[in-house]
Amino acid sequence: MQMPLDVQYIIELLPILLKYLSVTMEMALLGFCFAIILAVILAVVRVFKLPLLHHLASLFISFFRGTPLLVQLFLLYYGLPQIMPILAGVDAFSAAIIGLSLHFSAYMAESIRAAILGVDKSQMEACLSIGMTRLQAMRRIILPQAARVATPSLMNYFIDMIKSTSLAFTLGVAEIMAKAQMEASSSFKYFESFLAVALIYWAVIELFSRLQHYLEIRMNRAY
Amino acid sequence: MIKVKNLSKKFADNIVLNGIDFQVSQGEIVVIIGPSGTGKSTLLRCLNFLETPSSGIIEIAGVKVDSATATATQITNLRKKSSFVFQNYSLFANKTALQNVAESLITVWKEPKSAALKHAETILQQVGLSEKIHQYPSQLSGGQQQRVGIARAMASKGEVILFDEPTSSLDPEWVDEVLAVMKQLALQKQTMIIVTHEMQFAREVANRVIFMEGGNIVEQGTPQQIFENPQHQRTKKFVARATKQSISALDSAML
Repeated sequence: MQMPLDVQYIIELLPILLKYLSVTMEMALLGFCFAIILAVILAVVRVFKLPLLHHLASLFISFFRGTPLLVQLFLLYYGLPQIMPILAGVDAFSAAIIGLSLHFSAYMAESIRAAILGVDKSQMEACLSIGMTRLQAMRRIILPQAARVATPSLMNYFIDMIKSTSLAFTLGVAEIMAKAQMEASSSFKYFESFLAVALIYWAVIELFSRLQHYLEIRMNRAY
Repeated sequence: MIKVKNLSKKFADNIVLNGIDFQVSQGEIVVIIGPSGTGKSTLLRCLNFLETPSSGIIEIAGVKVDSATATATQITNLRKKSSFVFQNYSLFANKTALQNVAESLITVWKEPKSAALKHAETILQQVGLSEKIHQYPSQLSGGQQQRVGIARAMASKGEVILFDEPTSSLDPEWVDEVLAVMKQLALQKQTMIIVTHEMQFAREVANRVIFMEGGNIVEQGTPQQIFENPQHQRTKKFVARATKQSISALDSAML
């Protein structure tokens, strides 16, 4: 039986799904914050070539870029607690955030590292010449300049991360994708449900793209 | 105040500095001249450990560092005793003129931010840039950027300021304003070591001129001795050529 598109259903579904958007955004924002902290540390460790840590950072990045996010989430949530029972208490929501931040930090570390290496060497020399330590130079001069270069790609990773939170439904996190799935299977209106959830993702990401554009203009003031 | 003993620098098999010894006393203005590629800049950069010497001992204002055993802390302490003016200015691109000058006061010397900014403003006044304190480097001319560079070096509380060809990347129209600031520092008895090709400036301002070639100090003395009565053949040749150049430049400027 051919069914026409039920627009009414979509309109009614949108506010129901939107209630779960906060879960999605919470995962994305928290995940992004942790990811960026970890990524900066990984990038600085690699740029400074700190003994041992530098190799660990490379291994970490290689693993998290070399395996699918879904596999990492499953390993973390379903796998690890079997060998480390202490982790059994970690709920799906937290596991999803941890998984997302580990995964994206690996990618972001590489963008940040490239951006740091892109800052002219003379900037570091100028810092050292006035008596700053390399770490002070990083914090005050190099990272702020690298941030400007890295912002577009980091924002792209953030956008990617928002979309990737949809994988958390496989761990049982009640975010918008999970809710759409639930609504679809009870109403059998699969197309409308998934279209509704797609529209929400699209709108949110459009909003952040605008924000990205605004941020770039602001950060370029000095140049 | 500055003692350099047996300073050597090798890049792979290329010997750039060949066991340099020299001393500079408080308030002295030393100008280093010589052909390109003779290690003048490398010598200056070694004093600040921007290049790590292959061997040698550097002592500035009581901080003594042997390059064979130098630790990161020692190097930072040594750098605090000197400051550096770069050929290409190397201002912090993400900071305004004022923030550039205040940076060492805030980060290295831990002055409260408001005091540091005030202090920095006074220094920018001395180099004639009080109108430009809130401009970013990209908004300043070459001459203005280099004056900020000098102000930044003045602010960082070093006992000696090292100038690495401070006017070499400037358009001719900006050279004089930078030299004027340096002359003003000379009048204040600021200890300075200057690598430059500005022979006229060297003659006017230096207490001592060092002629370097091939990684060695060939000859040193007062400007009169070096420019009017050089002893070594190589010094004679270099000085003759360098002076002729500036005369012919003057000629062509007058035509």
